[in-house]
Amino acid sequence: MSEKWRYLITNNLSAARNMAIDRAVLVANSEGKIPPTVRFYTWSPPAISIGYFQSLSEEVDLEKCANLGVDYVRRITGGGAVFHEDELTYSIIIPESHPEIPKNIMDSYARICGAVMNGLKNLEIESSYAPINDIISGGKKISGNAQTRKLKTVLQHGTVLIDVDVEKMFSLLRVPNEKIRDKMISDVKQRVTSIKHLLDDSVSFDKAAAAMKNGFEEEFNIDLVPGSLTDYELKLTEKFEKECFGNDDWNHKR
Amino acid sequence: MNSKSVYKIPNGKLLKISLDYDESNSTISSVKIMGDFFAYPEEAVELLENELKKIQLNKDILVKKINSVILANNIEFIGLNAEGLADGILRCLE
Repeated sequence: MSEKWRYLITNNLSAARNMAIDRAVLVANSEGKIPPTVRFYTWSPPAISIGYFQSLSEEVDLEKCANLGVDYVRRITGGGAVFHEDELTYSIIIPESHPEIPKNIMDSYARICGAVMNGLKNLEIESSYAPINDIISGGKKISGNAQTRKLKTVLQHGTVLIDVDVEKMFSLLRVPNEKIRDKMISDVKQRVTSIKHLLDDSVSFDKAAAAMKNGFEEEFNIDLVPGSLTDYELKLTEKFEKECFGNDDWNHKR
Repeated sequence: MNSKSVYKIPNGKLLKISLDYDESNSTISSVKIMGDFFAYPEEAVELLENELKKIQLNKDILVKKINSVILANNIEFIGLNAEGLADGILRCLE
């Protein structure tokens, strides 16, 4: 019989809340209070998340964000700045000691990305893992991923682009030199793709989520059982949202 | 003296350094290590920034110091390494 993990869908939440939930689930899982969890989510308003080591003011045009109603947050994971708009974001939270998770960090990236690649295959999209932390299809990036390990627990979250607006993304990010903005936009257009572009058709979040759910179940030989956040996780979420991800001290700390 | 550098680590990530240094004896006053790399545990980078204070701006000395902090604190970098970090810091002097 397959192991049962929890499956969460939490749509249309703020950047601070989304990051607070991932951290709350990590803490609850580390305390043995909840099973391994796979969560799919979206962002409302659209948001930029930056990696733990990035400088917010150097990477993001905060005035432009305010004008366009775009939210921002610092993640607890490393990696780069991501504009979250038309995408499926996933997270997986699981003990480091779980037999399905390789001890080696790079190997565990590859394994978890394997689940995302299965999900893409369910949508008729062939893809491959491109170390360090990307998944590519037709030579272009369709998914970026970032992992942290805290409290003997693995949290990996990542994006699967349903559609992408490179111009909008670049209008929100700072570039080293305005003269090269157009060149950077055309470079990134050459390097980034989306489900919509690859299939020449729009795919709903629900359809993408169903495909990804199967992808995770196949990769880890598990059943994902729909659930919801526990009262304890909700309490932790509110705490982290207030004290960390919704707080200027955290978001501007670099 | 304050200076910044942006350096793409060979086969790695984009490293951005903000350095305050003492010109009189060529040592680090303070350094901020930024970029889209990964470090496990993440908090170790702040510790490394502290450990680099007062260290000579010399490649061999920097690499040795960074490696000793990595070893002592069991830090794992992905997309960054001691040599690349030392190069990024020294590029602030160019």
